[in-house]
Amino acid sequence: MTLELVLQGVVGGLLMGLVYALIAAGLSLIFGLMEIVNFAHGEFLMLAMFASFWAWALWRLDPLVSLPLTALLLGVLGWATYHGVVRFILDAPMLAQIFATFGLAVFLRSGAQALWGADFHLVKDPLVQGRVTVAGVFIGLPQLVASAGALVAFGLLYWFITRTETGLALQATAQDRQAASLMGIDTQWMFALGWAIGGACVGVAGGLLATFFYVFPDVGASFALLAYVAVALGGFGNVPATLAGGVVVGLVEVLGGLLFDPSLKLIGVFALYLLVVLWRPQGLFGRF
Amino acid sequence: MSRTRLAVGLVLLAAAVLFPALVTLPYPRDVLIRIFLFATLAQAWNILAGYCGQISLGHAIFFGTGAYAAGMFVAKDIASPWVAMVVGAVIAVALSQVIGAPVFRLRGHYFAIATIAVGEIVHILAVNWELIGAARGLYIPIKRPDSLVNFQFHQSKAVYYYIVLGLLLLGLGVTRLIERSRLGYYFRAVREEQDAAASLGVAVARTKRMAFAISAALTAMCGTFYAQYVLFIDPESVLPLSLSILICLVAVLGGVGTLWGPLIGAAVLIPLGEATRIYVGGTGKALDLVIYGALIMVVSVAQPAGLVGIARRLRRAA
Amino acid sequence: MTRAWISLLAIVAIAVALVGAPVAQPKEVVVGVLYPMSGNAAQVGIDCVNAVKLAADIVNANHDLNMPLAKGEGLPGLGGAKIRVVVVDHQGKPDLGQAEAERLLTQEKVHALFGAYFSGVTQTIAQVAERNGVPHLNAESSSPALTERGLKWFFRTSPHDGHFSQAMFDFMRDLEKRRSVKIKSVAIMHEATQFGSDSAKVQEELARKAGYEVATKITYRDKATNLDAEVGKLKAANADVLLPSSYTNDAILFVRTAKNLDYNPKLLIAQNAGWTDPTFLKEMGKDAEGHITRAPFALDMAAKKPMISQVNELFKKTGGRDISDAPARAFTGFITLADAINRAQSTDPEAIRKALVATNIPADQLIMPWTGVKFDEKGQNSGVRAILQQAQNGKYVTIYPFELAAADAVYPLPAWKDRK
Repeated sequence: MTLELVLQGVVGGLLMGLVYALIAAGLSLIFGLMEIVNFAHGEFLMLAMFASFWAWALWRLDPLVSLPLTALLLGVLGWATYHGVVRFILDAPMLAQIFATFGLAVFLRSGAQALWGADFHLVKDPLVQGRVTVAGVFIGLPQLVASAGALVAFGLLYWFITRTETGLALQATAQDRQAASLMGIDTQWMFALGWAIGGACVGVAGGLLATFFYVFPDVGASFALLAYVAVALGGFGNVPATLAGGVVVGLVEVLGGLLFDPSLKLIGVFALYLLVVLWRPQGLFGRF
Repeated sequence: MSRTRLAVGLVLLAAAVLFPALVTLPYPRDVLIRIFLFATLAQAWNILAGYCGQISLGHAIFFGTGAYAAGMFVAKDIASPWVAMVVGAVIAVALSQVIGAPVFRLRGHYFAIATIAVGEIVHILAVNWELIGAARGLYIPIKRPDSLVNFQFHQSKAVYYYIVLGLLLLGLGVTRLIERSRLGYYFRAVREEQDAAASLGVAVARTKRMAFAISAALTAMCGTFYAQYVLFIDPESVLPLSLSILICLVAVLGGVGTLWGPLIGAAVLIPLGEATRIYVGGTGKALDLVIYGALIMVVSVAQPAGLVGIARRLRRAA
Repeated sequence: MTRAWISLLAIVAIAVALVGAPVAQPKEVVVGVLYPMSGNAAQVGIDCVNAVKLAADIVNANHDLNMPLAKGEGLPGLGGAKIRVVVVDHQGKPDLGQAEAERLLTQEKVHALFGAYFSGVTQTIAQVAERNGVPHLNAESSSPALTERGLKWFFRTSPHDGHFSQAMFDFMRDLEKRRSVKIKSVAIMHEATQFGSDSAKVQEELARKAGYEVATKITYRDKATNLDAEVGKLKAANADVLLPSSYTNDAILFVRTAKNLDYNPKLLIAQNAGWTDPTFLKEMGKDAEGHITRAPFALDMAAKKPMISQVNELFKKTGGRDISDAPARAFTGFITLADAINRAQSTDPEAIRKALVATNIPADQLIMPWTGVKFDEKGQNSGVRAILQQAQNGKYVTIYPFELAAADAVYPLPAWKDRK
């Protein structure tokens, strides 16, 4: 195990971690607003990837080019999910909420298979391909662009939440629903917006992933699991903290596998989660 | 319990007991066996989550414990599967205490995700553990002739049916006992307002661990049954996250925190899955799963208190 | 007197007519077919079902092919009865496989069971068949354990991992001799379900027997989001040969990661699955150049056996793509089953079983590169032959056994920077 390989691992983990973070961001936002974990988040990601793929297959649009379209589409999906499903279970017991989004997950996943088949799809000859070598470390260009994109998206999200009025209203609603409503903030609107933004985030992530990852109906499941851990690590509701959470997950996954046993690398991720939350029950930066 | 309730219960019990005598085709028996199995699993989970309020999303680990106990004992010729059932339950209880001690300190979604994390860790460990067959799984040797001692029946499913019915009755009985006992009050106190309960002198941590132990033991027994029924187990069939979620769904659909909820949930979900798979599945279009997902969504949105909630509402309206 | 003789004659005539009348033949033979039609392996399941349906059609209708039952309509041994298939999706779950097999037997009244791709599910179905005394023919599951359990009613036409892996090691040894090169170490990488684990276990044993060092053995969870760590470990181990067992999605991710991280062993010999999925080579193009895979079936053998192209054309009509490994095996298995039922001249399970035991289909009537179909006492087809194919110029060509080869093996794999 040379230093070169370890360094390679660090870079790989970092890049992947940024993508995990973006996927997790939407999840964290939604949870912060209304304490609902979106169990269909993985399927949102899958749909975003499919959208990118079809834009390429039908109109030869590179996923990076169709990114705004994908983000918009997923934003609309988030909005629709809120109005069509979530609105009715806001005050239901946590279980019913899990149940509702889980049903949505099964519905979307099988719907995708019914419409597009179970086969794998890959965007061929994307705009960005190849790799660069920096100080002996290989960096795949699509991965680099994806992580950069994730970082930019994160930055935009952060700016929106903290620097715009709507963003501040979102934060207010997340902190205290009733007080915000007393202040004249339309909480229903805020919730729908939260879902829309959450959807858009995962839409961007999906579009970025489509540049180098294969697309098929079950693809969301594995990413979603890591996203939940990333959110919890950072602290539910603390969106900027998911950046740290995602990066940590990415690093532990790659380095754990590299330095120990790849078969057990995910144990490292989950064990880390348990250690962190037991030491700090509200996550690294959570408000709880 | 009111007279009518008692009467209805007895009629159902009689019907359940007589069923194998009336229906001899293996397939309907298999459907009922699976309904009873999932009802018991959901009931076990219900004790922890419905009555005590601790939402565990990693319950499959106990199922797997029971299943692998049976698998190992029989495949390596150590002892009878019944002994395995007891041993499996004991190990499951021990596991629950070890996990519970740290994890019960967490609340809400952190706790739920922690249980997922534990479940995944156990799954990955099992996949890599050569002793229990790792990812290849365990084949439980076929033993003839049919015998209760060997817990294997090949001529007819009837005895399997009665055993799992027994497990279900055990689950219902235990739940009923808890409902009416002081322990049950503690459970509900912890579920409703953990801090208030603590301030009133309820030993919160111990109560949770108690619920966990009972739940784990019952789940493990179901695992042992499954192993002897299917005669092949691997991590993918007895330890996955999807199984933990399914157990959850059955209870939630039926009505969490109620005595009959899990059974009703199983009685609806299992046949539904079967029907959609048989009539709509098999085309590779996964249409059956589309319908399944849509139905789960609709029910949970329309009546979050589950089918029992719907029944209550109807009764009140009547 | 005459009246008595006439009456006697009449009685005898009627008796002869009654006894000699043909026994009512079953109008159709029903076979239960189980495959995964949803989830990860759904595409393979769909392909296999299409292949089975094609086989049934070849039996039922008149086709001019040199294969059992192709000419003429239906099964002549049962008075022209047609074969009907009942297709079921077991979703990859062993307990569902068991339940469906029972349902097919008792409610759909099938005369035989066929399937089911995943070894774990095939296992539970085989048990149902054994319990009920009904033949179960399996055409694609590769776990050796299936025919080691002493089941009487289970028959497998396909080679299993033991055969395939043996072919791989024979190839390596023969390559060493032919090219005067030395192979010292192998690395095994496999996904963590039944298929991968079984395959890896066999490969490890064979490697030790052949005297190669097992530099590293990596188990990874399938549907991985990231294989950086795994490829990093492989680079560190630096074995001469990589032996992966992966499904399509992971195979694609692996190749892309290997490209990114510049990992290139001298030889890559894959255990089928992902590598023989038509999607893989189509998507990977030159990135998979030089990869070798074991293949029970080779489309390029059509040059020597034109029947293969004919069947492929028919398959493309319903399947929409070239016939590949798994569906080709499913096709062959189904024809074998139909042939046995035909020879049994009845749908009685024991008769079919005896007919299966007596099966002897010669090589020229198969689309597979085998020496024939003949079951040994464990129910395993002893006429199997594993071949190895290598991706050359975007297509798989047979490179081993050398006497069947269509091209020379390329060794070592071209470096990433040299792939144009």
